[in-house]
Amino acid sequence: MPDQRVVEPEYLLLEAPREKKFITGSQAFAEAVKRANVDIAIAYPITPQSETMHLVGDLYAQGYVKDYYRAEEEYGAMSAIAGAVRGGARAFTATSGPGLLRGLEAIVSWPGHRIPVVLGVMTRVVNAPLSIQPDNIEISYLLNAGLVVLHAENQQDVFDFTLAGFVISEKVDVYLPVVVATEGFFVTHAKGYVQMPSEDMKLPPRDPYKAPVPPTDCEIPPARIQRDAPVQKSNFMSYLIHAVWQQEVWSANRRAMKWIYKYLGGPVEVVNPDAEVFIVASGCAAAQGREAQRYAEQEGLPVGLVKVKSLRPFPEKEVREALKNAKAVIVPEHNIVGWLAKEVKSVIPNSGIVIDGPRVYGGMTLPVELIMEEIYKALGIKKEKKTVV
Amino acid sequence: MGLEYVRISPGFERYMPRDYVDLVKFGQFGKQVDVMQLGQFKELVEEHPMCAGCYMAYFIRVFYAALPNPEDTIVLGTAGCARLALSQAAVPFIYGNYGDTNAVASGLKRALTIRFPDKVKDVVVIAGDGGLMDIGFGMTMHSWFRGEKFTTIMVDNEVYGNTGGQESGMSPKGVQLKMAPLGKKFDKINAVELAQVAGCVYVARISPTNPKRIAKVIRRAIYAAREFGPTFIHAYTSCNIEYSIPTREVLKDAREREKKDFKFYEWMTDEVKEYLEEIERKEKEKAKQEVK
Amino acid sequence: MAEEKLITPGPAGYIPTPGAFMGVELPPPGKALLYGKIVDEEVAMREAAKAMLTRRNPTIFPGPLVLWGWNAAAMEKAKAVLELAMEIPNCRIIPMPDYRPKYPKIDPEAEINPNHPNLTILHNKIEACIFVGVHCHYANLSLRMIRAGTNCFTIALCAEMGHEDAMVSLRDVHAEEIRRFKDVLVQVRNELGIEWEPKLPPENPSLPKEDWTKISPLDFGEYAALLMPRKGEIVEETE
Repeated sequence: MPDQRVVEPEYLLLEAPREKKFITGSQAFAEAVKRANVDIAIAYPITPQSETMHLVGDLYAQGYVKDYYRAEEEYGAMSAIAGAVRGGARAFTATSGPGLLRGLEAIVSWPGHRIPVVLGVMTRVVNAPLSIQPDNIEISYLLNAGLVVLHAENQQDVFDFTLAGFVISEKVDVYLPVVVATEGFFVTHAKGYVQMPSEDMKLPPRDPYKAPVPPTDCEIPPARIQRDAPVQKSNFMSYLIHAVWQQEVWSANRRAMKWIYKYLGGPVEVVNPDAEVFIVASGCAAAQGREAQRYAEQEGLPVGLVKVKSLRPFPEKEVREALKNAKAVIVPEHNIVGWLAKEVKSVIPNSGIVIDGPRVYGGMTLPVELIMEEIYKALGIKKEKKTVV
Repeated sequence: MGLEYVRISPGFERYMPRDYVDLVKFGQFGKQVDVMQLGQFKELVEEHPMCAGCYMAYFIRVFYAALPNPEDTIVLGTAGCARLALSQAAVPFIYGNYGDTNAVASGLKRALTIRFPDKVKDVVVIAGDGGLMDIGFGMTMHSWFRGEKFTTIMVDNEVYGNTGGQESGMSPKGVQLKMAPLGKKFDKINAVELAQVAGCVYVARISPTNPKRIAKVIRRAIYAAREFGPTFIHAYTSCNIEYSIPTREVLKDAREREKKDFKFYEWMTDEVKEYLEEIERKEKEKAKQEVK
Repeated sequence: MAEEKLITPGPAGYIPTPGAFMGVELPPPGKALLYGKIVDEEVAMREAAKAMLTRRNPTIFPGPLVLWGWNAAAMEKAKAVLELAMEIPNCRIIPMPDYRPKYPKIDPEAEINPNHPNLTILHNKIEACIFVGVHCHYANLSLRMIRAGTNCFTIALCAEMGHEDAMVSLRDVHAEEIRRFKDVLVQVRNELGIEWEPKLPPENPSLPKEDWTKISPLDFGEYAALLMPRKGEIVEETE
């Protein structure tokens, strides 16, 4: 392990010279953790996440991460993460599909407990029937908990979002967990080019005293501290404290937007802003959407792309602005319920222009042709279907 | 950090509520108190909403008085009766989710060890029979298997008291409780034996009839956890409401149970024994010198 | 100010919208928030001073980070808070020593609790207050509840990034900035023609008076044991 020098987050994330590597999504997670000055990582196996936490385990063995262990199961892992973060450590863990749901009770309590941490989510179908294939329906379970949820399109996003995730989560006005989600296998087990700063640099260590809540370490007043106050007396006061507490979590969630602009260049990426038909997509579907947009451009069709990087906070203004002149909006997704289409419909005034789909699920890939079909339909272009028998 | 964070800023002594001024002046921070003097110093926990005659409330009071290092102790609890009093104490308290105490404590203790390798930071879980032996069973066991260095205290009232009196794994066989309308059909879980097998280095079972002994057991468990590994205390703290024990007979009940299935039991590894003997010898010497 | 004020003294109602939902953004370094708008620090300080000088029962709520002398900076900040309090006519100090919900209830004259700060405000009819040394999360809870149910003008002297739900919010406030605010306050006080000799606010009413007729064994500290009757000892008369 090389000696790592501490550099400012702004330098590491935005300015430091970068070198191109050809790595998998799992490796991209680990490379980000390597530069993030992580104190503790807690792992529990589940496909397709496991490889990421194997690699983080190697980082522990090499000395990049100070403590690491394999937990009993996900609820235990996510609870232990909450303990470590309360104790002032910087922590990382990751999970997938059924594991995420097993840990969910702990995970959705993190925002209310004000636990700044980065959680990698490598999507996988939710049982039953059992399967290990990518399908991102699990992300919909994360959208209503106050977590900051970023959705990575490719290996580069995984690296950037994860490293920036630590910085954003620990901002005093945010102090929430940041989820970095990406599609299992499609991203985690496939290689892509990733531009990375040198591994001899790392983020400054976590400063648990620069925080909106005190860490539980017996070093800072008050001595009588109960961060997780049960406020359950049945009277109006206890309802009100819970109400304003929830408001605080969601206010913090909104405040994250400023930092998403600063460190990730904004919550959306818009390609061809003057188009008539837009593809709005996140994660892997955005990669396919990008391809469809390129095909369409080659055919001279007025098609644009809005890639949504941040699902929470959801870029309401930005999406509305990007779609203000759109005639049709196509939302390709890797799940059956169409959670992104619902989000998009809810923030634009003319939701009738949103086409639900194309959607694939159960782990199927999302062929660009499916998106192209929707584009042709939206533009009134008739294509003959060729049937090969 | 020691006492800095429980010291009032100069000039503000006259603006603090009396409760806090007493805590600093006549409290336990930075001193060792004798549990037999309860009532003569400002206790770490005073007002709490537990039922009249609750033996768990008494046990918790003695627990706080027994802490060897209250200014550097963190207590964890979970849903149940105990946290009603724990959350009122002048010691940092963590209330997580259902039955998660031993997982949270594992992460917390590790974080504190990373950040303060040369300081003593005691982590103590106090949870009920339901929290530790039912819903949190896996996390309790695995924290012991992993050898996590903190103390687990089970305040066993043999029932889910706070949710209205349901059967727990620690209820005695045959007892009729809610969710066991025909009586409990299996035996009380042998938690002490489990702890021993699972890797605890110090294990005790007590019926809290003797405050001096409670204090001794608690201090031993905390000392041993600092150096060697997980420690466990199984304490009988009756629920006088669900088991219909008249308030003035809770002590009698505790004595009766002590004669039956809650006989005092203490077990430790040889190295823990050696270590504790050394500490207790020094404490005695110090006490002698103070008398002189 | 001709512009619309977003965040004003309440009561805002049953469940008010948080500032952040209304589009209030935290100020950049060197700036402050006044009624939800980003302004120069000086402007915000003057408005805050005016509120503390002209509204009823001005009160400072110091939080754990100044009440407890956990480091030199905290003690220095505490000193500055007292200096500020001395300059505000008829100011009171009501502390927030910790954040837990208290059982059975708090004494609203002796302390303020983040879980129901409005009780202290309503009981004492406080119409202008300063939060200082309170962790941001708890300060935000309090500020929102106060705006919901009281007509109190809230001022947050925040050591971090500020608070959307206070009428005036300064950021990066430490001892030095508190003293700067004090100077502004004195200046505004003179402009308003209010005469005032600096003096410390009254002490906490919960503290025991030097009244030896109602003494408790606790007052004897470590000697309390001597007052307790021993086993078998019956005290029949006292001096």
